[in-house]
Amino acid sequence: MRKRNSGPKPRPAWRVPVELLTFALYFLCGVLLILSRIGHGAIAEARAELGDLSSPFLELAAKPAVEVRSVVARVHTYATMFSEIDRLNAENARLREWEWRARSLESKVEHLRKLLAAVDEPALRFATGNVIADARGPFVRSALINLGRADGLRAGYAVINGDGFVGRIVDTNESVTRVLLLNDLNSRIPVLVGPAAVRAIVSGDNSGDLTLDFAPDGAPLYPGDEVYTSGSDGILPRGLRVGALVGKGGNIRVRPHADLSTLDVVSVIFFDTPALLSSANPGKEACEISTAEASAPPVEKSIQVRKVDGVVAVPNTAAPIQQ
Amino acid sequence: MSLIVPGLTVFFTVILAAVPWGLPDDATFILPLAAVMTVFCWRAIPGANLPAIIAVVFGLLLDVTSGGPLGFWALLALAAASAGTRAQPFASRSDWTPLWLVWTGLAAILAVSGWLIASLYYFRWIDWWPIALGAVASVILFPLVWRLILRLYGSAYPRSDFVGRGAI
Repeated sequence: MRKRNSGPKPRPAWRVPVELLTFALYFLCGVLLILSRIGHGAIAEARAELGDLSSPFLELAAKPAVEVRSVVARVHTYATMFSEIDRLNAENARLREWEWRARSLESKVEHLRKLLAAVDEPALRFATGNVIADARGPFVRSALINLGRADGLRAGYAVINGDGFVGRIVDTNESVTRVLLLNDLNSRIPVLVGPAAVRAIVSGDNSGDLTLDFAPDGAPLYPGDEVYTSGSDGILPRGLRVGALVGKGGNIRVRPHADLSTLDVVSVIFFDTPALLSSANPGKEACEISTAEASAPPVEKSIQVRKVDGVVAVPNTAAPIQQ
Repeated sequence: MSLIVPGLTVFFTVILAAVPWGLPDDATFILPLAAVMTVFCWRAIPGANLPAIIAVVFGLLLDVTSGGPLGFWALLALAAASAGTRAQPFASRSDWTPLWLVWTGLAAILAVSGWLIASLYYFRWIDWWPIALGAVASVILFPLVWRLILRLYGSAYPRSDFVGRGAI
């Protein structure tokens, strides 16, 4: 006897097999990695969108982290207070001597500039912001700061802190910007080294110190020599303090003045050069760039200081005094 | 079972991993791997709801905040999620040692895979020391993270079978 059909059977809900979904996700990750490697535009856009979305959370979460860091630093200061006072006294004595020499040199330079009728260099504008995230992982040494295109930033601008050059901007979103730090594997900065102004390239290798490449054979390089940007790439301003030489013989490295693992407040220098503008607008001619510069709002010829969380940061953009 | 608690926990660890703590350069792998470990722990709890696709989304978020290529941490998070599901039988008792051993093996595999992918990405051998340090630190941190997640799970879902079996 046949059973009577008592009504439509409930259809089982269609579900994607878990294995298939997992395989698809592995495949997606692989595709994303390959697209990232070849620098696909869609990846950059997705990254920018996600970066803007996550920036409020990061900004919020960075505040307690910065507080924790300052508490740890304070405890360390208390622990080493007496030796620190001795060190500061010695440093103060040395700096007084340098102050006298600097004033003397300043007056000489002023006199020589008058003799040469030299034109004053325009002051650099800058904006100051906070580091809200730093890179974690085997790939990059970078930091995310809470300034973006809305603040007038663009890729290529130099980033400094009170100690010296920190890195340069590689990616700008509307409200956040990624800074490629000096010690990143992809970082290459043209520099001048020491009193002889030896030309070289400073490269990062994801470690604390930097590599000095392409220095001429037999160049007079000594530990302690100052390293500063040469500006020969046409993008970075000349004279930003990078670090000092350490090591001997064939194992000379550059130790950055800025502590790249504990960045907090940084400043971005608005230094627009033709090379930077043409890289930002690859299809446009130089004449168009001049037109854009002419139509841009007038730039205040003085250093702008932006107050961030009660801290006023004045970047030191001066080149080291030549001995 | 809701994915709010697992999702929020992993999101919190991802944000913590991105925040500038001022850790030394050699310690850059520790916090992201701790976020991946959180994914593993949640997936190892029978009945906890953390879909693999959510693990991938958080991995992508970690990629964005860390500035690395999209897909790297997503891949590691997905591998941890898959392994976590397979490790559920080891997590059904109050003894966390078997699961710890599973994580130790997985952390070694993830570290080697991560190092190989990173080296392949740049076509050069990446420094292995920070990755190894991160893996070792995650193994040391595992009991603490596991306990915290069990406590969260117990307070969020007090009537679940897993809690009833005296895992906490």
